[in-house]
Amino acid sequence: MAREDVGIILGGPQGAGVETSMMVLTRALARRGFGVIADREYFSNITGRHSYIHMLVSSRAIPRSLRYPVEIIASMDAETLFTHIDDVANGGYIVYDSGVASKRLEEIVSMEDITRVRVLEKLKKNGVASTVASVLKFLERDRDVKAIGLNFADLLRRLMNRYRIEVSSLSRYVSGIIVSAVAVLLGLDVEAIKYSLSIQFSSRRNIVEQNLELFKYVEESLQSYRNSIALEKPKHNFRKLMIVTGNDVVAMGKIVGGLRYQSYYPITPAADESFAIEKYEHLRAEKDIGSIVVIQTEDEISAICSAIGASLAGARSATVTSGPGFDLMVEGISWAGANEVPIVVTYYQRGGPSTGQPTRGSQSDLFNAIFAGHGEFARVVITSGDHVEAFYDSIEAFNIAERFQVPVIHLLDKFLANSIRTIPPPDLDSVKIVRGSISSGGKEYKRFDLGYIVSPRAFIGVDDTVMWYSGDEHDEYGHIVEDPENRVSMYSKRIKKLDLIASEVSRDMKLQVYGDRDLDYIIIGWGSVKGVVLDALELLYRKGFRGCYINVKLLWPFPSREVVEVLSKTDRDRIIAIEHSYNVQIADLVALSTSIKIEKKIAKFTGRPITLNELVDALQKLLTSETTHVVLTYGA
Amino acid sequence: MERRSYRTDLWIDWCPGCGNFGILTAVVRVFEELGLDPSKTVIVSGIGCSSKIPHFINVNGVHTLHGRAIPFAMGIKLANPELIVIVHGGDGDLLGIGAGHFVALGRRNIDVTVILHNNGVYGLTKGQASPTLPLNAKTKALVKPNIQQALNPIALALSSGYTFVARGYAFDGEHLKNIVKKAILHKGAAFIDVLQPCVTFNDIFTAEYYRKRIYRLEDNSSWNPIVEKPEDRTIKLLKAIEKSFEWGDRIPIGVFYQDTTVSTFEERILQRIKIYLEMSPAKSSIAEDGGRSVIDGKRFEEIFRDYIVDVEGTQQ
Repeated sequence: MAREDVGIILGGPQGAGVETSMMVLTRALARRGFGVIADREYFSNITGRHSYIHMLVSSRAIPRSLRYPVEIIASMDAETLFTHIDDVANGGYIVYDSGVASKRLEEIVSMEDITRVRVLEKLKKNGVASTVASVLKFLERDRDVKAIGLNFADLLRRLMNRYRIEVSSLSRYVSGIIVSAVAVLLGLDVEAIKYSLSIQFSSRRNIVEQNLELFKYVEESLQSYRNSIALEKPKHNFRKLMIVTGNDVVAMGKIVGGLRYQSYYPITPAADESFAIEKYEHLRAEKDIGSIVVIQTEDEISAICSAIGASLAGARSATVTSGPGFDLMVEGISWAGANEVPIVVTYYQRGGPSTGQPTRGSQSDLFNAIFAGHGEFARVVITSGDHVEAFYDSIEAFNIAERFQVPVIHLLDKFLANSIRTIPPPDLDSVKIVRGSISSGGKEYKRFDLGYIVSPRAFIGVDDTVMWYSGDEHDEYGHIVEDPENRVSMYSKRIKKLDLIASEVSRDMKLQVYGDRDLDYIIIGWGSVKGVVLDALELLYRKGFRGCYINVKLLWPFPSREVVEVLSKTDRDRIIAIEHSYNVQIADLVALSTSIKIEKKIAKFTGRPITLNELVDALQKLLTSETTHVVLTYGA
Repeated sequence: MERRSYRTDLWIDWCPGCGNFGILTAVVRVFEELGLDPSKTVIVSGIGCSSKIPHFINVNGVHTLHGRAIPFAMGIKLANPELIVIVHGGDGDLLGIGAGHFVALGRRNIDVTVILHNNGVYGLTKGQASPTLPLNAKTKALVKPNIQQALNPIALALSSGYTFVARGYAFDGEHLKNIVKKAILHKGAAFIDVLQPCVTFNDIFTAEYYRKRIYRLEDNSSWNPIVEKPEDRTIKLLKAIEKSFEWGDRIPIGVFYQDTTVSTFEERILQRIKIYLEMSPAKSSIAEDGGRSVIDGKRFEEIFRDYIVDVEGTQQ
């Protein structure tokens, strides 16, 4: 029977081509209309540590969440098999290199000791010896798994002889074996693979040819497994799908939204966004559209300050960072607040505190984004639940920044940044660029005219106009003034923007509610937990629990009125807050803003994404018992 | 234009006799002589006494954060390369908290002029030792002699890549004016170390102290700081660095180094973005009338085609 979706793990050492495998497979699958979501897990390391892709292929264009166990594990090395011993489904498939069958767990130096000890204990408990062969035998016997050994060395030797490839570059073809094996299991045709390869290696025809030859060898070896895991026909009829990471999609949104200056200091997981933008620095389609200056600054302080400078001159400008970098930017954000400068900070959270888990995900910086900075001033914090939202929100971030002349923090996370999704191309007819109140200046121009909450803004450089800015309290012209009455009017003018924002930002931009209207329970959360929560709602609905999800998008100023309106539809003890953090800060934010105290919480702070299986279990537990707090831990 | 038109009518709250007055006068005179358009000129400053200067001048003024004037200036200049951008900061501001930015501007050689108000102390916070105060110096506000070494602003600027490096003296107005003028006209990152007595807190580097020691480099007819061709660069640079360490009985002022053979950052951007000057970030339109993005659906697909897959058939 054809399946709606298939879960897959592609694993191997960092730098060995796991990502290339994912990209080639994803593009080939998209070519045939399948949707893919893929999370990339990796150490803070360049080469050698265990990295893997956890993906879900689906007949939906945009699958929403990841789950365990998976139907296919394709491993480049022995470590993958030990690390993911619990992750394969009953009746699932494991593709492995038969050359590593005798490899012992104790020999795997790239594995962290603490992980090795844990895996060893697990093996001991099940009476399994610590070799790859015994692990596979155990899975075959215990879980009806089919372990498919391919002799990687033999396959590569054949290829080498055929094309006279240097021995030293043979390892580059391992990704081809992985791609081919998974494609054969899924019954994906060679034409789709060919299409994908020719884009992946567009300038290197011979590599495409060699990989196709390799596909042939693998297909021969796996004849009997062809189409073992068939997928249902795609349920959508998009003629085009984009394959994007969160970084990519934000880059695109910013460019469409009129970004003209982007500064950054390298930091994971934000830096890829700037790389993506830099490709379009000379922006042109059928005509020259404009220039985007992308600059790697000397530090995050310079990144934010130079972006503010560019904004003063009239360019839509942004900077991009994650927690440690944001901390350095705070002084600049305060200055922007004091000087009513539109500026966008795209903030990709990762595991903290300090350098924490540089390559893992988290949502623990909510309060950092909302409250960072001394003194009081209006700032806006928005977030996105998935790749599609992130595109439109990247544009809206500029619109809000310019309409209200405030710093806007677009709070995202590593799960979004580094995960790949297939999404339909955006609908640009629905996109609007709103620059707010712009003045053409003139001799009498007053930058901080107290006749408005949002004074008309002239850009530095406008003819016949001179203006001043100062981080000190200032008068309408921007000159330093310490007079108490001026202080009250200027200070209030700036903060009153929060009320204006609360009344003028659209409801859709504040929050979105998904699910049943007749409610047993309500989940509230924000950012990239959205997909997995929506899938969990669906599964629980089938089990008789009717719930809804409040996807909060405007985190500050918090949409108290709208949230209360939804939360009041159920009993307080049927409200559940969820977040990738220890404290589940959204619950505190709701309490602070609405006086509603949420007791039930689901937290995950391993750095790995929340998966559907563990979330459904947790929700069921919260809904059927006195439990109030569940901490999730699934994932390698 | 009249000189008056470049001055605001705000009361200047510097201490009477402060060296900053000399710098202000020199800068205003240069604006007057060059007839700069106030709306196309920007003064960006950091924090401290010196950094209040934008408020006293009738051109665009951006009074920023401690040590951060240079990054703000960079953003303004790169977004709109038409603008003339001048940074003012103190020695603590530019060489202490802002040292990283100071170095980075030199590396980039952005067409910005940096004017250092160098008085050896943090004046506005009442006299702490700044990065240019020598080891063991004890100004009157210090409890104990300075325990940190002084750095050499000229040598630092030269090794960072500034392509115009000079020193002026706040109370030699005519000379300072000429240097500021050259710096503004120079294409590339320009740095002027302006010796500036702090009458309240620095009782070592006083006007009297400088009067006895300062001499002008250009009085020696063999001094030629200008790099005519790239091959001369190293020799001129070494000479300038050597000269920068002359401090004590004799203190040189004047132009130490000028190199126009190095590409400016703006020229480097122009190499990559051919339309950079006519469609600079601040000057290129981002929306059509009615708020539609200049990137419509068709252009989107063209620009981002690498990300788009044409879905074809279904399996089998």
